Amino acid sequence: MNLEKVIFGFFVLLAATLNFGFFIGDIANPELHNIYELVAALAVSLIATVLKFGDRTQIGAVHLATSLVADLQLVAAGVVWVWAHEISAQGMTATHTASVVSLSGGALLANLVSVVLLVIETVTFHRG
Amino acid sequence: MSNPLLIFWAQLFGRREPARRIPALAHIESSSQASSTIFLVMRRMRAPLITIIVIFSVSVVGLSLIPGIGPDGQPARISLFEAFYFMSYTATTIGFGELPWPFTPAQRLWVTFSIYLSVIGWAYAIGSLLTLVQDRSFRHALALRRFTRKVARLREPFLLMAGYGRAGELLAKDFDALGQQLVVIDESSDRIDALDLGSYHADIPGLVADAANPHHLSAAGLEHPSCAGVLALTNDDETNLAVTMTAALVRPELPVVSRTVSSPIAERMRAFGTPAVVNPFDRFGEHLRLALHAPASYQLLTWLEAGPGAELPVRGHPPTHGRWVMCGYGRFGREVTADLRAADLTVTIIEPAELGAPEPGVIVGDASEPGVLAKADLASAVGLIAGTDNDTTNLSMLATARRLNPQLFLAARQNQPTSTALFEAMQVDALLVPTEVVAHEVYAQISTPMLWRLIQEMPAQGDGWAADLIQRLRYNCGHELPALWKIKFDREQAPALEGWLAEGRVTLGDLMRSPEDRERQLQVVPLLLLRDGRAVLTPDGETVLAPDDELLFAGHGSERRELESTMVVDSTAAYVLFDQHVPASWVWRKLSRKNSTPSTLEDAEV
Repeated sequence: MNLEKVIFGFFVLLAATLNFGFFIGDIANPELHNIYELVAALAVSLIATVLKFGDRTQIGAVHLATSLVADLQLVAAGVVWVWAHEISAQGMTATHTASVVSLSGGALLANLVSVVLLVIETVTFHRG
Repeated sequence: MSNPLLIFWAQLFGRREPARRIPALAHIESSSQASSTIFLVMRRMRAPLITIIVIFSVSVVGLSLIPGIGPDGQPARISLFEAFYFMSYTATTIGFGELPWPFTPAQRLWVTFSIYLSVIGWAYAIGSLLTLVQDRSFRHALALRRFTRKVARLREPFLLMAGYGRAGELLAKDFDALGQQLVVIDESSDRIDALDLGSYHADIPGLVADAANPHHLSAAGLEHPSCAGVLALTNDDETNLAVTMTAALVRPELPVVSRTVSSPIAERMRAFGTPAVVNPFDRFGEHLRLALHAPASYQLLTWLEAGPGAELPVRGHPPTHGRWVMCGYGRFGREVTADLRAADLTVTIIEPAELGAPEPGVIVGDASEPGVLAKADLASAVGLIAGTDNDTTNLSMLATARRLNPQLFLAARQNQPTSTALFEAMQVDALLVPTEVVAHEVYAQISTPMLWRLIQEMPAQGDGWAADLIQRLRYNCGHELPALWKIKFDREQAPALEGWLAEGRVTLGDLMRSPEDRERQLQVVPLLLLRDGRAVLTPDGETVLAPDDELLFAGHGSERRELESTMVVDSTAAYVLFDQHVPASWVWRKLSRKNSTPSTLEDAEV
């Protein structure tokens, strides 16, 4: 068992699951989407990105790319939330919630690709 | 390709492609080493970056969860965004204070905790980055990357010099004066620092690396289309052999000059293509033999090899009959002894170590002890060569020998550049500085192929010829060796002479008249004429020039420019060659066409 692989897989999966937890529920209902879950998803996604730094293989490069996409989407979702919550006069309307959640949905897709890559990497790994 | 931008692009960069194709037999991968730098940084920065992300997330979320009291006195938590804002300016030590409203003691407790945590995180991250920047392998990777990029951008022909020792430095100065670009590899960082500090006209890229490694040679442009030659000048014979080998295998068409002091290594080098091998000991023996037979030829040879601006060396008169004493019978001693014996001279050898089979005339003992030198019977000897690899020993031998017999011809080998002043003060008659021999030899071979041809043909011409040539050079150009330059009488360099050359009406003597006053001769000396591969040394004024002749001249830059104006400007050429005044402008030439252009021989003689 390789501890590095465990940590790597843990963070990749956790990023996907947290993202999924935030995404699930009625897209326009703000009460079903906890902002703390989005923050957790963003933080874990960032950590997963850093873990993918410095891998020179082809699959490592694709891993990094998917993670960067997920980060970008989650940061965008966060910015939209800040805009809706702090700046706009209406507060969290259905439109704003839908934007935040759909952006995180995009990140979820990228995270799922990451998980698929992880599975492929595991399956094609031959010892010795 | 309808887009004009694309066409422009193709015009600008498309045509270069064929020229940039690498004619190498084998491609050496060198970029991987350089590009790994960025991966190294990213890999090492993983832990610190994750630490910062975790610390930030925990403190922001924690701060937004802790209850506070709003401006209206009601319990209110600050939002995630406010918490992120607060932590951002606190963690980066900007510290705007407690925003958006004063904190409660609970919040302050959390903030205190977060501040210490974030300081640790930043200190760790910045510390890691600084350690990485100072890391030796990282700096080396960066230097290699910068060097590779610099070399790849070179567009002019350059020489790859492996080893920047004393010989390399002398050569670099000579080549820099000629405007020849160089790329240098040396194992010692001190030498590369010396290269950076050296005052050169051109920016010479230098890399601290082992030249025996083909990857480093590749990074230094061995596969670059503009690479014009390889010089293996390190102190280590094995490294020079490796460089020669790599160059011969990867770019067989490149000229390679390699330095060695061992003849087996020289043989091994010659197994790979045709490198020019320079053995300073061997050359010194040959020079000494030349000096014995033909002092003037030797004087001319050393002068020409010393490069532009060199003072005329003093003509020595080594004794041609009698017995020589050779101190030190190492590789140098053997080479020189063989040359001396080939010149029918008897040689007494003094060698500190017992050699396998005792040879006739070998005295075993330390030559720096006066008793041992006395055994060699210096009073009846004519010359002494101090040829050990220790400068102190050599100097003390010279001093003792001079005391025993002031008439002795003294030759010495100088090993360290720092001993120059001592040997100068000793006033020896012939001095071998191996590094200088290498530098001069390589310079003669690489700077212009015609100079090398001249040097090779020179001994056959005899001593009188050499003495005459030295007289002419001194008369025309003074005591310092003028620049040597080559002219090819083709359409490009001599457009004004083209027609007359084909008719066979240009003699060298006429060509060397001054464009200002054709009664005055230019102060240049023609050294060598090359026609269809045959060489004529010091062609005289009666020589009729033909198209595509190549000439090597010695002369100052101003004289060269005057000669070049004769070759390029029609009206100047007509005046210089035939004393005809041809209008310079096209209109006047058309108007006065009938009686001006000397198109036939009769016209010219009028």
